[in-house]
Amino acid sequence: MSVIEFEDVRHRMPNGVVALDSVSLKVGRGEVVAVVGGNGAGKTTLLKHMNGLLKPSSGRVTVFGKETKEESIARLSRRVGLVFQNSDHQIFSESAKEEVMFGLKNFGIPPGEAEEKAGRALEYYGLADLAARPPLTLSGGEKKRLCIAAVMAWEPDVLVLDEPTVGQDYPSRSRLFGVVQGLASSNRTVVIVSHDLEFLWPLSPRTVVMSKGRVVADGPAREVFMRTEMLRDAGLREPQLLQLSRRFGREEPFTAVDQAAAWLTERGRAN
Amino acid sequence: MGKIVEFLDYTFEYSGMERPAVEGVSFSVEEGEVAVLAGASGSGKSTILRSINGLIPHMYPGRRSGKVTVDGADVSSTPTYELARKVGFLFQNPENQIFMFTVEKDVAFGLENLGYEPEVIRRKVDWALGLLGISDLAKRSPSELSDGQKQRVALAGSLVMDPKILVLDEPTSLLDPRTAQDVVSLVSRLNKDLGLTVVLVEHRLELVSPMADRMVVLSGSRVWAEGSPAEVLGREGLHEVGLSPPAIVEVQKRLPSGDGLALDVDGFVRRFLADVGHRV
Amino acid sequence: MAHVMAEGFKFRYLKTPVHGLDPRVKLLMTAMLFALALLSSNLYQEALVFAAVGVPAALARSLKRLLRIAALSLTFSLMIFAVNMLFGQPLLESAVITIRFLGIVAATSVFFVTTSPDEIEYVMRWFRLPRDFVFAFATSIRFVPVLMMDLTQIIDAQRSRGLEMDRGNPVRRIRNLIPVLIPLIVNALVRSGELAEAMEARGYGAVSRPTSMHALLMKKNDYAALLVLVPAWSLLITYFLGLL
Repeated sequence: MSVIEFEDVRHRMPNGVVALDSVSLKVGRGEVVAVVGGNGAGKTTLLKHMNGLLKPSSGRVTVFGKETKEESIARLSRRVGLVFQNSDHQIFSESAKEEVMFGLKNFGIPPGEAEEKAGRALEYYGLADLAARPPLTLSGGEKKRLCIAAVMAWEPDVLVLDEPTVGQDYPSRSRLFGVVQGLASSNRTVVIVSHDLEFLWPLSPRTVVMSKGRVVADGPAREVFMRTEMLRDAGLREPQLLQLSRRFGREEPFTAVDQAAAWLTERGRAN
Repeated sequence: MGKIVEFLDYTFEYSGMERPAVEGVSFSVEEGEVAVLAGASGSGKSTILRSINGLIPHMYPGRRSGKVTVDGADVSSTPTYELARKVGFLFQNPENQIFMFTVEKDVAFGLENLGYEPEVIRRKVDWALGLLGISDLAKRSPSELSDGQKQRVALAGSLVMDPKILVLDEPTSLLDPRTAQDVVSLVSRLNKDLGLTVVLVEHRLELVSPMADRMVVLSGSRVWAEGSPAEVLGREGLHEVGLSPPAIVEVQKRLPSGDGLALDVDGFVRRFLADVGHRV
Repeated sequence: MAHVMAEGFKFRYLKTPVHGLDPRVKLLMTAMLFALALLSSNLYQEALVFAAVGVPAALARSLKRLLRIAALSLTFSLMIFAVNMLFGQPLLESAVITIRFLGIVAATSVFFVTTSPDEIEYVMRWFRLPRDFVFAFATSIRFVPVLMMDLTQIIDAQRSRGLEMDRGNPVRRIRNLIPVLIPLIVNALVRSGELAEAMEARGYGAVSRPTSMHALLMKKNDYAALLVLVPAWSLLITYFLGLL
């Protein structure tokens, strides 16, 4: 069953720019979907349709079978949790704990239960020690995880991440990778909007490529990422492991460094 | 040639902080080089960059020891507007460094501040716009530009002052990969054509290590390694200091043989095939 | 919503003979219209004021925008009318005072509708206003759309966390603003910090009297405009002052 469905969606912005054009897309339960594309491709506009922040100018967006036009943003957000790119656009509380409590309170979860859920989310995302800290004093990576924890605390059915790796250093990226991997293996539905193919490649999720407001490709990463020209036109760069695979004419591309090294060692010996 | 940027046992602690942002840092950059400064967030990279153009200590008070020399001038005793002629600075977010309502007026900003004659400003502005391929944007308003174009405008605003050194603080972190590649190639071209010395901070090492001459890695406020990118990226323990070498480097480190690292896929493949062919 | 406001705030440059005038001429013209509006003392004169404002506005293809601005100030005009009536002014007097206010609004608007912030900055420089003041003016206008974008994104982020801004009693609604205002202020502070660094890095304050790449230059059209404006205005003002 699909949890989010776009049917021939078009979105015209107030200034007349068409940000989405004939977009059709289904996200199934338990699926991990990457939406990739360059800046200005319409990725964020697409994402804002998933909890009703934006409504289609024509076409339909349905979330769990209900059309977004007929639901409040709050009700939709309860089931589809969005985490935006810039953590500083949402952090406002005096402590990390309160930041997580904010959503829980808004959704009317009883205080006792909310405390418990907030505590669990902080714990899960490795922030338990920082619960009392003012969130503005946290590092970029900690803020990012706090924003994710603040959404995951109310246990939405779907998590949507907008450019989670932008501006993050390597330690933070690798923790984020762990988070996404954990969600994927526990059969959560996750949508990751990103232009960071190096980050996505080892995960190799189903990948939707957007360019100029349209979906130009949709399929398994291993197939989509092989279309080098299309990726380049969409403002993206192919990951190095994939480049390497192509240079050696491999049909099954390397997704991990170890795998590539083992194959090359073998190949070196064979000669 | 010679040392154009030099840090000598440099320590800086912002007022009100409990520990130094950088401590006992010594390294230098030769004229005409591209130097990449790498390290996890909070390792002191921004402090180093701001110590090159004098924002530290002139704008940020703090406790300081050691010495920073830029093009023969001691930074701590040279006013920032003097350093502005020597050092162009490109910040991460171009939005916050474009002040004026039109592109050309913004590019002129620095020269107006220095009191150049209008005709001279006109000539230099036209030159800088042409150099960055944005002459057609001259009359446009910054709010109509794409992120990549904004970054070019900001770059033009620095280059118009004819600096010897260009300092870039994560210039591509908000850009998509293709636009990021464009900016990096542009910087590389400026380095070659104008002989500009470049000091830059960038997380995406696969993007910048092929064009770098020198790499300085900071960890916990101190210099952890300095050398050519191949030397530095070849070391063990990079992950522990919060760096992820390009995938192609990681692959090479796991291969049995190897003298020196190739920093991009093409270079590696060429070397590998030659190597294998050699042994046949 | 904030997006629409940001759009509305943007100055729209139209290619018309009025927009193309030297900003100093536009300022002078506005001052003249302002003086007329201020001195108008009966309904006939006020009709003349609106005609005088209407001509440049029509030439600038901005009548509609001007009417919209006038409509916005209508509530305020009605208040003036009510207050006047309340204090025992006769109906006609109150009407004249109210219409005079509308005339003043329309006259001043001519300048802002036809002059870009960029040109206003030139005029400020030409008057040799202090550099810091001019720069503060320029950046505050320049950053309006940027802060509006911040605001949109912040509201989107908080609504995605279940914040329903227009729900509850008035006290609750004011409290609902906190999660929006705090990030907005924090972001504005971060931006101004970065702005200050970037100014410093580009030599701001190096010399006490910075130069300007552009100089304002009077062209043929500007002189032609003055040739029409000055006699027409002199005629009207003499009539308004009752000297005719």
